[in-house]
Amino acid sequence: MILPAIVLFLVMTIYPFIYMIYNSFTNLDLSKKGTGQFIGLKNYFEIFQDRLAISSIEFTILLVLIAVPLEMIFGLGLSYLLRDLFGEKVLRSLFLIPMMVPAAVGGFGWKMLFNFIFGPINYFLGLLGFQPIEWFGKLNSARMAVMIVEIWQWTPFVFLILYAALQALPKDILDAGKVDGASGWKLFMYIELPLLRPIIYVTLLLRIIDVLRAFDTVYMTTYGGPGSATSTWSFYAYKVTVSYGWNIGYGSALCVILVIVSAILINTLTRILNIGKELGLSKE
Amino acid sequence: MRSRLLVVLVLAVLSALAFAEVTISVVACSDNADSLKWLAQEFMKKNPDIKVDVTTLSWEVLYPRILADISAKSGAFDVFNWDVMTAGAVSQGCVDLFEFIKQNPDLVDPEYDMDDLLPLAKNLGIWDGKLVGFPYFNNTMLFYYRKDLFENPKHKEEFEKMFGRPLRVPTTWAEAVDVARYFTKSFNKNSPTQYGIALMFPTTHTMFYMYLIFFGPYRRSVEGITRFGPVDLDYGDYFTSDRKPAFASDLGLKAFEDMKALMPYSPDPLGSDYGETLEYFAKGIVAMVPQWTNPYLQFKSSPALQPAEEKIGIAPMPGRSVAGNWALGINKFISQEKQRAAFKFIQFATSKWADKEKLIRFAIAPVRKSTLADVEAQKAIPWVKVLPSIYADETFRPRIPEEPRLEDISNINFAKILSGELPLTIDTLNKLAAEWEKVLGK
Repeated sequence: MILPAIVLFLVMTIYPFIYMIYNSFTNLDLSKKGTGQFIGLKNYFEIFQDRLAISSIEFTILLVLIAVPLEMIFGLGLSYLLRDLFGEKVLRSLFLIPMMVPAAVGGFGWKMLFNFIFGPINYFLGLLGFQPIEWFGKLNSARMAVMIVEIWQWTPFVFLILYAALQALPKDILDAGKVDGASGWKLFMYIELPLLRPIIYVTLLLRIIDVLRAFDTVYMTTYGGPGSATSTWSFYAYKVTVSYGWNIGYGSALCVILVIVSAILINTLTRILNIGKELGLSKE
Repeated sequence: MRSRLLVVLVLAVLSALAFAEVTISVVACSDNADSLKWLAQEFMKKNPDIKVDVTTLSWEVLYPRILADISAKSGAFDVFNWDVMTAGAVSQGCVDLFEFIKQNPDLVDPEYDMDDLLPLAKNLGIWDGKLVGFPYFNNTMLFYYRKDLFENPKHKEEFEKMFGRPLRVPTTWAEAVDVARYFTKSFNKNSPTQYGIALMFPTTHTMFYMYLIFFGPYRRSVEGITRFGPVDLDYGDYFTSDRKPAFASDLGLKAFEDMKALMPYSPDPLGSDYGETLEYFAKGIVAMVPQWTNPYLQFKSSPALQPAEEKIGIAPMPGRSVAGNWALGINKFISQEKQRAAFKFIQFATSKWADKEKLIRFAIAPVRKSTLADVEAQKAIPWVKVLPSIYADETFRPRIPEEPRLEDISNINFAKILSGELPLTIDTLNKLAAEWEKVLGK
């Protein structure tokens, strides 16, 4: 019974992965004849001299350091505030909409919202006495715009998990806390939050993994610009490998690096946050 | 009885095979898709044994899709509608039509008339001596302006008071700066439009052709030709005749200075692309816009630009125009039968009749001399009259296989220069040229 699944896994995942590693050591370029020769680690050395690759790493790190924490805070805040609120079920469904909207549709929608002349965001800023912002035309505003879209799209994911976790907290512990005089903020800070910690860590990890491969928002809104201000690692790999010239060898090296960095980061975080123990999966 | 039945059966199978429908699959860019779909319908009426399916892809997706098909030799598409600047890369998977015509004289329409094709349009489809595509869309950039505002006596008088010269459609970018300033509200409170000009300098392939409309006047000037040599058909205006980056020079810097000088009079130039600038002109936000030929129909139907003949003016680019041609080629890795059917279709789609029809119905700029000279065509689309002068000296991008990579590096660096993130110095351009040479393997 399990054999077809194994075969499928090997064919669809392991083989392409190994093939990608192999290609990363070649100069394969589909736009040119006679490429595909083995060139050793040349592609990897080139990455460290590639200004565009380094710039893409910078923005990806910014997303991890700014967008992910904000998603976590907003998601946690929403899940806490929504509990026992009037219209909870309706609001819960509404909050999940951004996550369900396809990224292409969401990105296109935000592109219109951020439009310099016709966009409602600049219109409302104008009503408040602010000058219109060239959202996609300036380095900082473009980065902020991409982060806003990311936060809008993925806060509901954090909310969904933490809201479910809050509902599932053991009632007896909460009741014991209440008997001891804890309520409201104290109950949340000293009882609920510590109980949520394992789930928060896992959610954080999932979001980091996801942000490391952020692509669609950038593709639909800024296309990595202005300059390379909003190019993420995945988007850059896409441009090199697919969009601008089919440089499969170099693009594969970029992807291999991304996999390695992700693996190291996840492993380190898992150890630092002690996720195995928090989830009761390890005996340490 | 049995043998008779067998004969009938064999005859039935043979006749079914003879009248079997061949399906050819065409992959097209969205700019060309509507016209190709219409032509496919017309073609199928005349050729009921051939079915034509047209698949539409966006510009960004089309090129990698064609390359993937060619590299895998999968034959997913039989006819490619390709941007001529990808000629070097696409040619490896396209049938040489010169050779195909020699080998299949029975398919050639005697009225096709190769000599009627406009020379540059035809030559851009030739790579390494092979004709890898029939020219389909002779797209070029035009300068659209608000005719009513330029002809308004009040604005003429005010402009002359302000700048000491008459208001006219700019013929150089330096002239365009004053006009753009006049039509920008924040610099002239009496301006009828919010901004003077809509510019598109985003970090996409748009940037690469927009630079050429500013660099072109320098590259094609007497000084430019003397210093850089004539323009090479494969390497285009970005290069010198000995195939070195020509933009890494004082003339290249001047082009950037011209671009920067206009930016204050444009709404969000670095964040606006094709769609945004179309809207800005169509909604009456700006007085001028450099745009391709085909948006004309959108402008013509815009409520803010009515009556269109009084409000939409069309002129040659103040600098130089840039070619944005498209061709139709046949996949090398498909069966002979499909190649023959595909040839019939691309020959039909680029015939004299089709050239005129697609111009009148879809504003697809013509590839034939006869269409340019056609009175009905000139009446239908006003820019047809200005095309001959534009086609005579328009610039074009490189067609070498490395073009997309060069384009990407340049788009990013150009945007950084225009935003001030990189200094506008010869050193910056030299560094970019060094990156180009690395890509070119020099």
